[in-house]
Amino acid sequence: MTKSSRRRALAVVSAASVALLALAGCSSSSTSSGGGSAPLTLTEMDYYGSAPQNSQIQGVLTQCGNQAGVKVTHEEAPRAQLVPKLLQDAAARTLPDLMLVDNPDLQQLASTGGLVSLSANGLTTTGLYPSIVSAGQYQGQTYGIAPGVNDLALYYNKDLFTKAGLTPPTTWAQLSTDAKTLTSGSRKGIAFSAAATEEGSFQFEPFFWSAGADLKTLDSPQAVQALTLWQTLVSGGYASKSVVNWTQSDVEAQFQAGNAAMMVNGPWQLPLLNAAKGLDFGVVSIPVPTAGQPSVSPLGGEVWAVGHTNSAEEQKAVAVVKCLLTPSMSSEWSKDAGYIPSNQASAAALATSDPQLAPFIAEVGTAKARTAELGTRYPKASTALWTAIQQALAGGTSPQAALSQAQSQAGTGS
Amino acid sequence: MASMLSEKAPAAVAAGAAPRRRARRTAWRAAGFVVPVWLYVLCFYVYPLASNVKMGFQNYSVASFYTGSAPFIGFADYTAIFRNPQFVSIVVNTVLFTLGSLAFQFAIGMALAVFFRRVFPLGGVLRSLLLVPWLLPLVVSGTVWRWMMYNDSGVINYTLLHLHLIGQPVPWLASTNMSLVAVIIVNIWVGIPFNMVILYGGLQALPEQVFEAAALDGANAWQRFTRITLPMLRPVILVVLTLGLIYTVKVFDVIMIVTQGGPANSSQTLTTFAYDLSFNQLLFGQGAAVGNILILVAVVFAAIYLRAVRDDGEARR
Amino acid sequence: MNAKTRRILGTTVGILIVAVMLFPLYWMLDASFLNSTELVSTTPTWFPLHGTLAGYRNVLSSQGGHLFVSLIVSVGTVVVTLLISAPAAYGMAKLRVPGRRLLLFALLVAQMIPGIVMANSFYVAANDLGLLNSPIALILADSTLAVPFATLILHSFLRGVPDELGEAAAIDGASRLRTFRSVILPVSRNAMITAGLFSFLFAWADFLFAVTLTTQDNHAPITVGIYRYIGANLTDWNSVMATGVIASIPAALLLIIAQRYVAAGIGSAATKD
Repeated sequence: MTKSSRRRALAVVSAASVALLALAGCSSSSTSSGGGSAPLTLTEMDYYGSAPQNSQIQGVLTQCGNQAGVKVTHEEAPRAQLVPKLLQDAAARTLPDLMLVDNPDLQQLASTGGLVSLSANGLTTTGLYPSIVSAGQYQGQTYGIAPGVNDLALYYNKDLFTKAGLTPPTTWAQLSTDAKTLTSGSRKGIAFSAAATEEGSFQFEPFFWSAGADLKTLDSPQAVQALTLWQTLVSGGYASKSVVNWTQSDVEAQFQAGNAAMMVNGPWQLPLLNAAKGLDFGVVSIPVPTAGQPSVSPLGGEVWAVGHTNSAEEQKAVAVVKCLLTPSMSSEWSKDAGYIPSNQASAAALATSDPQLAPFIAEVGTAKARTAELGTRYPKASTALWTAIQQALAGGTSPQAALSQAQSQAGTGS
Repeated sequence: MASMLSEKAPAAVAAGAAPRRRARRTAWRAAGFVVPVWLYVLCFYVYPLASNVKMGFQNYSVASFYTGSAPFIGFADYTAIFRNPQFVSIVVNTVLFTLGSLAFQFAIGMALAVFFRRVFPLGGVLRSLLLVPWLLPLVVSGTVWRWMMYNDSGVINYTLLHLHLIGQPVPWLASTNMSLVAVIIVNIWVGIPFNMVILYGGLQALPEQVFEAAALDGANAWQRFTRITLPMLRPVILVVLTLGLIYTVKVFDVIMIVTQGGPANSSQTLTTFAYDLSFNQLLFGQGAAVGNILILVAVVFAAIYLRAVRDDGEARR
Repeated sequence: MNAKTRRILGTTVGILIVAVMLFPLYWMLDASFLNSTELVSTTPTWFPLHGTLAGYRNVLSSQGGHLFVSLIVSVGTVVVTLLISAPAAYGMAKLRVPGRRLLLFALLVAQMIPGIVMANSFYVAANDLGLLNSPIALILADSTLAVPFATLILHSFLRGVPDELGEAAAIDGASRLRTFRSVILPVSRNAMITAGLFSFLFAWADFLFAVTLTTQDNHAPITVGIYRYIGANLTDWNSVMATGVIASIPAALLLIIAQRYVAAGIGSAATKD
């Protein structure tokens, strides 16, 4: 290396180092909230990765932020990473000011002591669905309140059903035969998500609960009956083997493309499906084992929570949440995101004005919150449940064996 | 150069002013070259290692993160892991994954290295292009392979079906039997370039005369390969296999992206299991314990490698 | 078979081999242009005749910042790595510092430590020092991927460099530092370039440290960008693949520019153990 080229190299290196240090200085100062004259910046975190929720969220945050006189920046994490990340943040005392977490995770988060009690700060839950209210409570205090809720129903392709001369199924037997009839070529009769995430458990729970099983006993005969239904659908070829890999988003894509005649999914898919050209679909409640039994859906929907930071930020965050949870804001957001307002009166009004949502709204009244039976022990039970589902569908294990293993894993714990 | 040295040497010896003091000072200066790296090793490897070992003996739960309390529970984390009904199958998966990947990466890498010894147009360019799989971010490679392995819409099943090599689509990602095979295939693809390049470099350094002499003596290509090439390549092969073993045991991104360790933990290895324990099941103490087991395995192999290299070096002297 | 036929056969087979090995890359490129129905259809589309640029538009509008962060972090990693490993390799190979065998062992073991073990500690440390989301934390973390590898490569190479070079400089009165700068560094140019190249690529491809040490999206490098994009938009495969294509460009570019040095550097390092 000649002297001049060495000097040049040295110059490049020093310039790069200076630039890096400058960037470091800039970035680390911008993460802390500005003081004095600049408006406070609050951080918000959620797992909304797909449309329409992730495009709408910043809009409502800005609206309510302006009302409270703060700026709110939105950040997302993949679903599987959100809770671990929040727990790590809780340890480092760097929780975001606002969080939108899935309702079954709220109690576990609250048990760390890192959340601000919303009930102690003047927020009320009157008029909201009792199931979502209880999901957001821990040890008598309310830590999370949902602006909107959702549940699951059965979508079906009207064209395919008419061509085959079928009516939408109401019992499991009808579901199986319809799925069998509609499976031809590359098209499968039904699609659902059996992924190794909370989505898998969520999609299975309507069948699980409608059969009469409960989460405290994962290997009851009723649970086995439900898992056998799923296993038969997959092994018979009426549902794709890939259900163990699909998210609910993937399921919607399959249905929209015509690769599945029926799908289990929620109301948040309606904006996407309505925008799809040439797709004529209908919605009915999920079939039950025998005619006349009630169809029980799990309660979905995320809750707003506020993290412990400092009193100034907490005050502002509570103010923002208050704004986000006013009936008008909740309804507006739910409408854009394809959710059902958590306020029962608003939801009832919506059922009449938007008939597409009627089957979903009818089920929300009887929907079950996932943490109702198990509280903070739900995540572990859910993990055991989706592992059992995967073993049965992807590994050919008998439902009884798979669920017995799940029960021992959820009960005594590994 | 030799004459220059012999002229200068007497002068240097005659100069001998306080040679011992100077020697000690220069020894310190020499040490100065490795002080940064020792500090680096202490801060960035020893410290995380120590805190992980400590965590393996603690009951680190969700609440510990916020309250900071993690009671000491001795070996309870380790017994919990060993008693876990899936532990045995996870260890088996790890062994199968490592051996399967290494065997094929090495064999194919060797075959390609030997092939590229020939001189033909574009040889250099083609050889460099083959490095691409190793240099791509694993997040990207993993995603593409996952896309190709989809049961219904993946191109691999489509091709195999149309070539009539299989009758039914292979559930690469959707079956507990095939998922480990799927991640092994991807890992082999990722590892071939590394093996090929190093083995090729080793082959290039071998002297031609030995081969020519053997050919004159009547040895055929296979005999030349097994009796001459392989023994002479022993040090290089050792490097490739050991480094390959190290990297393969650590593999995380590939499995995480392609199968996430599933379905039903069928493609879970010790590394992904440690991650699952810490970040999915939130049992950080147990996750740390599995991490410690992995480190022990690594230390054992490192020791074996160093012993082998030292013996090799001594034998050659 | 005469020599010419053999050469042509060699090239043909070589091209076939490369085509098979690099098929996934072609597939990624193909998928990045497909529209949504073709993406989920059971018949693969071999050539994107009805291509769409929607994927790339999505990516460029959302991932540009991530690419910049990746660039800063990777360059920084190269600098830090070479600053630490070059003198270390020299000390171990030429100056026979005491404890060099222990250092070699330590570096080998260091490479084997699973990433999650390091990531947890780094997170706590970065958080305590207020360096979360700062490129400095990522640079230091990513350097742990590169320093052992770079040191071992340079160490192997330097052992093959004749001792006389250094001795001659010493007799001429040069200090060790001077010898290092003026004699050793120029001679090990190939190995240094190789070490620098791999440091860059390891940092560019790192995923675990990136996802642990950045909590704010606008400070995340491209691997995290892709992962979050994939997690969010799994059905949007053309955007996912477009992201992949763009993230692969640095690796491809560097390879083309520096492939001579890479092959020479690794080859010589491997044989001189």
